[in-house]
Amino acid sequence: MTTISNDQSTPVNVALEVESLKKSFGGVAAVDGVSFSVEKGTITGLIGPNGAGKSTMVNLISGALKPDSGHIRLDGHGIGGLEPHQIGARGLIRTFQISREYPDMTVMENLIVSAANQGEKLINVCFRPSVGKKRDRELVERALYTLVTFGLYPLRNEYARNLSGGQKRLLELSRAVMADPKVLLLDEPMAGVNPALIEKLGEHIVGLNKELGTTFVLVEHNLEIVEKICSKVIVVALGTTLAVGTMAELRKNQAVVDAYLGGDVSERVGS
Amino acid sequence: MDIILGYVTTILVFFFTYNIFTLGLNIQFGYTGILNFTVITFMAIGGYVAGVLAMPKAAAGSGIYYILGLNLPWPIAALGGVLAAGLLGYLIGQIALKRLRSDYLAIVTLATGTLLYGLIGNGTSIFDGWQGLFNVPQPFAGFRTWTPLGYSIFFTIITAILFVLLWLFANRIYKSPLGRVMRAVRDDQDVVEAFGKNTFKVRMTAMVIGSMYVGVGGVLTIAYITALSPAGWTTGETFVVWAALLVGGRGNNFGAIVGSFLVAVVFNEATRYLPQIPAHPNLIPDIRYVLIGLAVILSVYFRPQGMFPEKKNTFLEVPLGDSSKAIEEHLGGLSKVGEQ
Ligand SMILES: Nc1ncnc2c1ncn2[C@@H]1O[C@H](COP(=O)(O)OP(=O)(O)O)[C@@H](O)[C@H]1O
Ligand SMILES: [Mg+2]
Repeated sequence: MTTISNDQSTPVNVALEVESLKKSFGGVAAVDGVSFSVEKGTITGLIGPNGAGKSTMVNLISGALKPDSGHIRLDGHGIGGLEPHQIGARGLIRTFQISREYPDMTVMENLIVSAANQGEKLINVCFRPSVGKKRDRELVERALYTLVTFGLYPLRNEYARNLSGGQKRLLELSRAVMADPKVLLLDEPMAGVNPALIEKLGEHIVGLNKELGTTFVLVEHNLEIVEKICSKVIVVALGTTLAVGTMAELRKNQAVVDAYLGGDVSERVGS
Repeated sequence: MDIILGYVTTILVFFFTYNIFTLGLNIQFGYTGILNFTVITFMAIGGYVAGVLAMPKAAAGSGIYYILGLNLPWPIAALGGVLAAGLLGYLIGQIALKRLRSDYLAIVTLATGTLLYGLIGNGTSIFDGWQGLFNVPQPFAGFRTWTPLGYSIFFTIITAILFVLLWLFANRIYKSPLGRVMRAVRDDQDVVEAFGKNTFKVRMTAMVIGSMYVGVGGVLTIAYITALSPAGWTTGETFVVWAALLVGGRGNNFGAIVGSFLVAVVFNEATRYLPQIPAHPNLIPDIRYVLIGLAVILSVYFRPQGMFPEKKNTFLEVPLGDSSKAIEEHLGGLSKVGEQ
C-alpha cells in the first residue's frame, strides 16, 4: 500500500511514530527495539505485562530518558534526544504513572500554571505586568470551564495535596487539557482508581478526543476500558512489539494470550 | 537622645539589610525550591566588589592589598557589586542547576561557598585576605557635612527605600505568572518540564534574582560598616538567614520579615546585653546560635510551615454569566458522550 509521505516517510495521518527504539539500564534491555505508530485523532492503547517497558517508552517518548538508539517522530519531525520541555512545547504532554500534582498549590493554580504562554517571561514581570493579568483572565475562565467538566469545580480553591487519589487522577487529566496537547500520553491513568471513576475517566478521554481531536496514547492494565475506548491496541512484551490490533483480534492471538492475557490477574478480574 | 537614635538607626539598617537577604533566599527557596546553602557568599561578593570599586587604588606600602580600586562613585560601585553577586549566582547555577536537585544542589552550593571562602581568605591580594577591606568610603559622605547621627539617619532612609522597592518587586514576582511557574517547579520540577516549560531557565532566573537581592544586602553592609572581612561571613551566617526564613514562613514575604526581625534583631540585641565573661569571648555569639537553632527546632516541630505560612492564592472569578451558560451546555454535551 502506498501512502502520501513526507521526507521522513511518515504518513501524514500519523501523529506519533516510534521506530526500533532501544534503551538499556545496565544489563537490562527495558526497551528492545520497539516500533509502532499512532494515527492522528485516535485513542491507542499500549498494554503489556509489568516490566514490559511501557513506562520506559513513555519516558523515552517524552524526553525524560534519552534513547540508546532508534527514532521517535511527532508529526513527522524527529524528537528523539530533545529535552522534555521542548517535546512538551511541541504538543506532546505526558502524565506519570503515580499522580504528581503540585501539592502546595490550589487546584485552580494547578490548572492555570499548566497552560502554555502565561506571560511568564521576566521582562513581562518587570515592565508589562498587564500581559500576565490579561492572560490570567482568559485562563481563569478556561480553568473554571474545565473544572466544571471534570467535576472538580467545588474543590477549585483546595490545596491539591488534600485531594483523594481519584480526584488527583481527575486533576492530572484536567491539567493536561489546559496545555492544549496534540498528543496526550497517559501512563496508567486508572491505576488504583475505583470502577465508577474508571468509567468516568474513560468518558472524559473519549469526550476530549471527540471534541478537541486530541490524540491519546493510553498505557493501561484495565483491559475492559482499553477494549471500550481504544480503536487500536499495541501489545508490548520484553521491550518489543508483540502484536497490534483491536482488542478482539488480540484475544484470538495465541502469542498475546500466552504472554499477557492468559495468566494475567487483571484480565481474570476484568472479564 | 542621640545615643538612642544612633542605636535605633543601626538596628534598623541591620533589620532592613537582613530582610533583603531573607527575601532573596525566599525567591530561591520559598518560591522555587532551590536549596542555596551559601547565601552569605553572595552578600560577601556584593560587598567586596562594591568596596573595591568605590575605594581608591591600594596605596603601596600600606599593607593592604586588593584588586581594582577604581574610586568610582557609589551608585556605580553598588551596581557593580549587585551585578557581581548575580554573576556568581549564574555561574554556580550553571554548575548546580543543570543536572542537580535538592540535596545534591545544596552540597554543591555549600562546597562552592567554602571554596570561595578559602580563596578570598588565603588569596590575600584579592580582597585583602583574612584582614579584609577597611576604610571603605561611605556613599554620599562628601555630599554635605554630616553629623554622625545625621549620616546614620540618611543611611537608614536609603536602606528603607531599597528594602521597600525590593519587597514590592518580590511580591510582584510572586503574584506574576513567572512566580506561579516557580512555585510549580518547587512542587514538582519534572511535571513542569513535561508541560513544555524550560525549568532550568526558571530556576536560573530565581537563582540570579535571589543572588542579586543578597548582593544588595552585601553592598549595604560594607557601605554602612565601612569594612568587610571573612570573619563577617562565616558559613554559620548562611544558616541564620535560613533560620529567619524557616521560622518566619517560607513562601511568604511577610513571614520573611517577621523571621528577620526575630532572628536578626531580637536574638542579636537580646544576647548583646548578656554579661561578658572575659575568659570566653565567643560565648555570646555562640548563645545566639544556640537560640537560633532552638527556634528552628521548635518551629519545625510545632509549626513546620513557619509562623506565617504561604497564603492560599485565589483568583478573581468572572461573574457567572455567559460562562455559566457555556458550562451548562458543555456539561450537557459531556453527559451525552457518556450515554453513547
Ligand atoms: N531507571 C531504571 N533503572 C534500572 N532499571 C529500570 C529503570 N526503569 C525501568 N527499569 C527496568 O526496565 C524494565 C521495564 O520497566 P518499566 O518500563 O517500568 O515497565 P512497565 O511500565 O511496562 O511495567 C523493568 O525490568 C524495570 O525493572
Ligand atoms: Mg509502568
